[in-house]
Amino acid sequence: MSQFEIQFTFDDKTISAVSGQSVGAALLAANQRSLRKTRFNKDKRGIFCGIGVCFDCLVVIDGITNQRACIIEAKPGMKVQTQDGSNA
Amino acid sequence: MHNVVIVGGGPAGLSAALAVAAAGAPVLLIDSNSRLGGQYWRNSVDELENQNEQHFDLATGLLLINAVKARKEIEVWSEAQIWSATNDEGKNTLRVIHQGKSKIVNTANLILCTGAYDRTLPFPGWDIPGVMTPGGVQSLLKGHGVLAGKRVVVAGTGPFLLPVAAGVIKAGGEVVSLVEANKSRRWVSSFIVILENLSKIKEAFYYIKTISQGKVRGQFGQAVIAAHAADNGELESVDIAKIDRNFKVKKVKNIKCDVAAIGWGFTPDTSLAGSLGCQQVVAKDECVVVWVDSNQQTNIPGIFAAGEITGIGGSDLSMAEGVIAGIAAAKFVGCKVEVLKAHRKRRAKRQRFANALIKAYPIKVGWQLWPNDQTTICRCEEVSLGDLKFSVEELGATDSRTAKLFTRCGMGLCQGRICGRSVVDLVAKELNVLPTDIDRISAVNRPIITPISLGVLAQGE
Repeated sequence: MSQFEIQFTFDDKTISAVSGQSVGAALLAANQRSLRKTRFNKDKRGIFCGIGVCFDCLVVIDGITNQRACIIEAKPGMKVQTQDGSNA
Repeated sequence: MHNVVIVGGGPAGLSAALAVAAAGAPVLLIDSNSRLGGQYWRNSVDELENQNEQHFDLATGLLLINAVKARKEIEVWSEAQIWSATNDEGKNTLRVIHQGKSKIVNTANLILCTGAYDRTLPFPGWDIPGVMTPGGVQSLLKGHGVLAGKRVVVAGTGPFLLPVAAGVIKAGGEVVSLVEANKSRRWVSSFIVILENLSKIKEAFYYIKTISQGKVRGQFGQAVIAAHAADNGELESVDIAKIDRNFKVKKVKNIKCDVAAIGWGFTPDTSLAGSLGCQQVVAKDECVVVWVDSNQQTNIPGIFAAGEITGIGGSDLSMAEGVIAGIAAAKFVGCKVEVLKAHRKRRAKRQRFANALIKAYPIKVGWQLWPNDQTTICRCEEVSLGDLKFSVEELGATDSRTAKLFTRCGMGLCQGRICGRSVVDLVAKELNVLPTDIDRISAVNRPIITPISLGVLAQGE
């Protein structure tokens, strides 16, 4: 299986990823360390456990909130957004 | 013949699957990842030569993975999340979301190999973006080819810090500090254990060689006790303290870095076993583990467990346990096979090595003084140490369960997987008592194993 480059957007930026990479890995490679703001204190959070356990790297993907950036594979054309609080 | 359902595709699950298949019984292997191998053999492509250079022993992993794929008796479900599991008079029901579809698996024969994740301890700033677990940094490297940062501090305790530091150096990053909280290499004193486990020693030296080529010297008896953010809210530096034998802070220095990978050993993920009603016990390292007999069978006949959920011990022990669980489960469904003496000997040898490591890398109570009242303890629900103290001092919480109900500490999306163990310790400290086994076991009780949308729940049966 050969790897190829894909692109998706994060807020208004275009992000490149290698096929098979997670959304979170591609964002970190693009030096995007903050992925969301917390509900109460509006603190920035990013990847912490990196394996889908901690739910800290939550982003909005194609309109769906609470998606774990660290385990969701990047797909061409995905619309990824910073999650602000619960985005509800 | 009934099939055996195995949960988890890491070293234990793969070994168990092959043992069951070799005995002649069909297997359903359910794995949450998109690729087999678990956390240990996390990989990005199928061929060894195309992997990034992050593994000491991926060859063994790929052998097992390819053998599992080649056996027609084994059906593999990847990207499958089990969100609920129940046991009703010997009948187990697993509710699974497999690649977006809701499925139900009924079986009387189960092998649980659900693994472990990094144990973390709270300290001021541990929720700043840039502070991560060593497992997270390694997973980004192994699975995605991404180096988490240029200047990396690796800290905490345990042998796992070595491959993580070596991995960062191999990928071209700088390990600005490698910090081990425990002082000595006490385990070296047991020569028999070392002679029995030479391959592990070889592995350690392989990492140490890489680390010294990166001009990094390990610092012993030190720990990261605080992290600081720049104006943009992201990690800029950490405070590294010299600590005494009980982890009490002595002298502090500040070091600039853009990633801090900090881990304190591992926590087994026993949620699935707990939901099924398997008996759990507290191990020597204070981990809650699944109790098993000499055949890796839990207290519920037909449910077996292997790997890290029966006690933290690494991949070699997990494989040895997986083989035994696989043979015993195959026998349970009627195959004419027996666990051999050689299998038990192999497991015992590796268990002795794991025990030596647990003794060498203890976590001492002094860490409980690192967080202050403003420090976040529950990252999901943003509960501070001050909130927890208030629930004990003012609201009268008399144990960690009550404190949790008052504060929502541990009731967020991760369901206390990250803070649960620490909350048990911190509440007991406030009450000036020692945590009981009941406190520890109740902290890992999770009726829903993984969060799901209400839509899935509403679908029902």
